[in-house]
Amino acid sequence: MEELILNLKKEIIEVLNLEDITPEDIQNDVPLFGEGLGLDSIDALELIVLMEKNYGIKLKDPAQGKEIFKSINVMAEYIKNNRTK
Amino acid sequence: MRKPIYIRGAEQVSIQKPLCEEWMETPIVYDVEYTRSIDPDFKQFLSPIEARRMGKILKRAVATSLRTIEKCGVKQPDAIITGTGLGCIENTELFLDALCKEGEEFLKPTHFMQSTHNTISSLLAIQTKTHGYNVTYAHKGISFDSALFDAYMQFLLGKIGSALIGGHDEMTPSYFTLLKKAGYLGCEGMVTAGETAVSIMLSSAKEDAMCEISSMRMLYSPTDAKIASTIEKMLLESNLQSDGIGAIVTGVNGNKANDEAYRHIIEATRLNVPRLKYKHIFGESYTASGLGLYAAAHCLHKREVPAHMIYEGDKEPQTGKAMLLINHSDGKTITFTLIKSITQ
Repeated sequence: MEELILNLKKEIIEVLNLEDITPEDIQNDVPLFGEGLGLDSIDALELIVLMEKNYGIKLKDPAQGKEIFKSINVMAEYIKNNRTK
Repeated sequence: MRKPIYIRGAEQVSIQKPLCEEWMETPIVYDVEYTRSIDPDFKQFLSPIEARRMGKILKRAVATSLRTIEKCGVKQPDAIITGTGLGCIENTELFLDALCKEGEEFLKPTHFMQSTHNTISSLLAIQTKTHGYNVTYAHKGISFDSALFDAYMQFLLGKIGSALIGGHDEMTPSYFTLLKKAGYLGCEGMVTAGETAVSIMLSSAKEDAMCEISSMRMLYSPTDAKIASTIEKMLLESNLQSDGIGAIVTGVNGNKANDEAYRHIIEATRLNVPRLKYKHIFGESYTASGLGLYAAAHCLHKREVPAHMIYEGDKEPQTGKAMLLINHSDGKTITFTLIKSITQ
């Protein structure tokens, strides 16, 4: 799980082009949107693409993202249980 | 009587040291076919969160624009008008590359949004909270001149009192390869292919102005007689005699076809004054003519023409006079811009 979390953080930093932010800067249980990292709806679309491309998880309903992208911990748990690659 | 149009500030990010005029004294000399711009520290202008969706062309446009605004104090211009030959080509390539490799399913929204040409002017409007006239021209080698000409006409019509204009272009390795094959760049003896980011503030208020844009024309395939009569009219509009022009500023770049077109146009102007060049300093790109205006404005403002800019003429350029800038696209569309020293 720890390895998955670290990889996920690295992938998020890369796809969202979060220069100057390191995996250590992203807290596992802090909200990714609004407060915390301060991501927005376009970032949510980027994360949907990331989930499908890297883990084979297709989110059919974008509203699902609200729950899944709550924090790194929640996201990693969802990936662990639903990944196809 | 029309109101004068002053250049109040001009900044660049290019293959020279960014956001300064060190190129006048100690230009960086390149001996390569192609190089990319030297970027400033963008954190001075944008937070990492703001910058994360911006390609280099956008960050450079923000940097040059905000520095220009900061220096001249016109915080919210009436118009923002930019020109770009290739637009956000780097992100366009990323988007198309992903489309070819991975199909439509995995396309990134950020690359798509950034691949449009008008992203530049609209981003500058958001950054400066300007809700006025906002246009981007994508007219190949006359993109910057089209932006300038639009602003010039709107000043004449009295529709605007200030305008932030710009010329912005990236050059990617793949696009350079294509233009080299087509014979536009990378020919033997040619200047380095570079990138342009230039922002210039125009205003009808004279306060701390660098120089005045006194006349401008854009012609398509003119005859020699038409060029001569156009120059006469421009001199008349500017209250100048033919000896009022101290230098001609051209975009000669070592490409035979390009330089021959300039030679022909200059001959048709019937002006016997020193000729200056700037593309050996800033490189060639679709909006390099913006850097020509930037360089000429600084020369008039500082009353100094660097010796390395002079390439023809037996007299010294007169910096207390006017300068005629000439740009052309494939020798067909030709622009003449007359700028005057404000102290004469």
